[in-house]
Amino acid sequence: MLEVSSVNIAKALRAIKKSVWVYHLNSGSCNACDIEVLDALTPYFDVERFGIKLVGSPRHADVILFTGPVTRESLPKVVKTIKAMPRPRLILVLGSCGIGGGIWWDTYSTLGGFKKLEEILRENGVEVDRVVYVPGCPVRPEAIIYGMLLLLGLVEQKSKRVEVVASEG
Amino acid sequence: MSVAKILEIALRTGRVTRRYPYEPPLLTPEFRGAVKIDPSKCWGCGACVKVCPPNALTLKPAGKEATLEYFVGRCVFCGMCAEVCPAKAIEVTKEFELSATSLEDLKSRVIHRLARCSICGAPIWTEAELRTVVKSSPIAEEYYLVCPKCRKERFAKAAMLRLGAGSE
Repeated sequence: MLEVSSVNIAKALRAIKKSVWVYHLNSGSCNACDIEVLDALTPYFDVERFGIKLVGSPRHADVILFTGPVTRESLPKVVKTIKAMPRPRLILVLGSCGIGGGIWWDTYSTLGGFKKLEEILRENGVEVDRVVYVPGCPVRPEAIIYGMLLLLGLVEQKSKRVEVVASEG
Repeated sequence: MSVAKILEIALRTGRVTRRYPYEPPLLTPEFRGAVKIDPSKCWGCGACVKVCPPNALTLKPAGKEATLEYFVGRCVFCGMCAEVCPAKAIEVTKEFELSATSLEDLKSRVIHRLARCSICGAPIWTEAELRTVVKSSPIAEEYYLVCPKCRKERFAKAAMLRLGAGSE
């Protein structure tokens, strides 16, 4: 197997700006986010303006569009799919379920979000190079486009951590 | 269909593609985006926390403070918190460009100071909630800084004295 050095990965990440190929990975979502992904691919939103193209195999993909709260049944397949992806691995986590588990955040049959999956991936020796979380239930096609541009480093991140003390008196 | 016919339809319809990042998105009046909590109005009563379906809103007491945390990454944008808020501190905005590279960037917190029971010293309600309650229904000062447990004990003691129990 070919060894990948961190220098090469950094180079590849810098090179990825245009014409990324995406693979749509559903890990047990309710299909709302998946329909929005299809929406973003239609001529109405037309992500091919940015060269984004849907491919049928993770081996051809630069980015994985990840939806769903990772059900127990899908977990081994999800790990296999992400493992099959070439480095650098970019993942766009879509929807509340993918990020924090959504309304299935503490159900016995799901992992409850990408954070736990990332730990499992690390245990299996699968490294993920860049992750962008796109909240929404379901995500708007515009939000997917925005998240994609953020993943490619073309727009600035808007949301940041806020901590305010409630007013006194 | 012949090419001429397709061309005619295409010319009649024109461009349908939205140039989204370069033009404003199509947002309907019914669209619900991320929720915004106004820290100057919030009491920290926890009504939104009870009603939130995916526990995106949490109220965690820690020491002298209670933190109301809003995690957009788990929010399902139902707007029930805004409906139930007695202080009208929660507002449903039209914000949807919430993408972030880390989970910490998706959290917003409002920190409340906790008032303490004047007898046992246990943390009771948030100071903001106490202020609001006193404003709407003036209670004697000796009451509002006493926790329910101490109140019960005090009431039991007073009732026993009334019934003729010994003072020792």
